[in-house]
Amino acid sequence: MSPNSDTTTTATTMAIHEVTVVLPANLHARPAGQLARAAARFTSVIQLQHSGRTINPTGVLAVMGLGATAASSLTIRAEGPDAEQAVTALADILANAE
Amino acid sequence: MTTTVGIVLVSHSAELVAGLHLLLKQIGSDTVPLATAGGTDDGRIGTSYDLVLAAIRRANVGAGVIVLPDLGSSVLTARTVLEDHPHPDVTLVDAPFVEGAVAAVVAAASGADLKTVVEAAEEARNVPKF
Repeated sequence: MSPNSDTTTTATTMAIHEVTVVLPANLHARPAGQLARAAARFTSVIQLQHSGRTINPTGVLAVMGLGATAASSLTIRAEGPDAEQAVTALADILANAE
Repeated sequence: MTTTVGIVLVSHSAELVAGLHLLLKQIGSDTVPLATAGGTDDGRIGTSYDLVLAAIRRANVGAGVIVLPDLGSSVLTARTVLEDHPHPDVTLVDAPFVEGAVAAVVAAASGADLKTVVEAAEEARNVPKF
């Protein structure tokens, strides 16, 4: 929120991306594991929002703790140099959860 | 990248740890060196010094190992093994058995180092189940 850096050029490389996905299936252990492992590959700060709760999807237990069920929606938000790739990759996993 | 941190699950019950191993495979343990030591040498409920030692050796592929005991004498047996065979990269971790194993597997599969995998397992205690 507050600019705390003396580097002025980094801001231009930062991007914020956000997408909302409707779950085709409950977010159980297997997709939660996939999601956490995928999230760890990116340098962007990623958030997963569901029913008013926001968690860091690199934590598999936090993902499972959301208790997100089929037909509910989740919002993935990423901020950083690879934000778009992160959101795309995570949305793909959620959209294809079985 | 570098090698993957290994995980050893120590339980009183061969069946319990075999079931947990199956669950972990669903979550993505196929790239993680994971070894189990469940029950006594002759298949009863209890813990085995030799099974724990063998599991640690199987799981250590160079990046270190975390040892997760279920409770009680699993802790004592694992501790005795580590005292007899001290290794700076083998760590006994105090964590919930199922949640700690799940968090550790995901961290290890993501390429985390030993310290990060230990922290992931320990943090499992503080994550609400629902």
